[in-house]
Amino acid sequence: MTPSRQRTLVLGLILLGVVFVGFFGLRFFRAFREFRGHRPPPFPPADAQPAETNVELIRDWMTIGFVSHTYRTPPNLLYKALDIPPRGNEDKSLQQLNDEFFPNQPGYVLETVKAAILANQPIPTAQPPENAIPPAAP
Amino acid sequence: MSDFLLTQIINYGAPILGIIVFIGALGVPFPGTFIVVAAGAFSRQDILTWHTTGLVALTCVVLGDSLSYAMGYYAREMILRRFEGSAQWSQAESSFNRWGGTSIFLTRFLITGIAVPVNLIAGTSKFSFRQFILYDLLGETIWIFGYGGLGYLFGTQWEAVSELLSNISGLLLGLVLLAGGTVLAIRWSKTSAAHIRRLKQSSRQ
Repeated sequence: MTPSRQRTLVLGLILLGVVFVGFFGLRFFRAFREFRGHRPPPFPPADAQPAETNVELIRDWMTIGFVSHTYRTPPNLLYKALDIPPRGNEDKSLQQLNDEFFPNQPGYVLETVKAAILANQPIPTAQPPENAIPPAAP
Repeated sequence: MSDFLLTQIINYGAPILGIIVFIGALGVPFPGTFIVVAAGAFSRQDILTWHTTGLVALTCVVLGDSLSYAMGYYAREMILRRFEGSAQWSQAESSFNRWGGTSIFLTRFLITGIAVPVNLIAGTSKFSFRQFILYDLLGETIWIFGYGGLGYLFGTQWEAVSELLSNISGLLLGLVLLAGGTVLAIRWSKTSAAHIRRLKQSSRQ
């Protein structure tokens, strides 16, 4: 290899390395800061997997079937909220449904599904603490 | 692209995941780590069964790696026609035979961006196929079950895990390129200094 080619190769490798380290280093730092707030959810007893309740985790790539499974919501309720037939739409993502049925309303399907799930979630009832002191007898 | 692949995985399960990792092992730039972590999370949600999915994905990715090794192996003649007899080629071949196992193992899960070039080099330098499969299987098991296991552990929060792992891999690739460039620079500067010294000595004589 000629010296000029060697120089080009070395400079290319170092330059590419610096670009990668800079780009992914920044992204890693940001991802790490976000990740620090996450803790693995506790493992529930077998066949008692609780339903997800945070609707902000719903994404455009999800299907109605997937969302209904994750949030323990009947799929028909979601189809009814969107006013579209279940037949033939089972495999389509929320984005595909939006593009097909509501092309002029971007994000409509996602927001409607979120709203339907929130409306269907049971209202949480306050639980007494385990070490609560019972009221004194009169 | 990622969104489309995720939709297909939740619709068709393990076979689609197998096809994705197989094609990814041939060099098509699919977001493999992202998909594997997601598949782990889907297993926790009972969308996929973790053992079947893991085994299908592992088999397919090892098949893909073997095929890209074979591509390097059969392209050897073509490459040799250009580089055979050169000092750099023999040096590269002997270096790969010394460090090949570690490179194969680490590029399966840690520096995944250069996994395909490593497969091709392994095939071209006639690195033992038995050893290749051994290191490949070890590394890919960590990738599929380790990264998938993290997805399983974090469940619906898998996106944060996947983001972190993908960026670690990119960062490490950058560090490897930087280290490679520096090592080559030092080596070549030493060689050229020795060459200049020899020239000076011969001119004095």
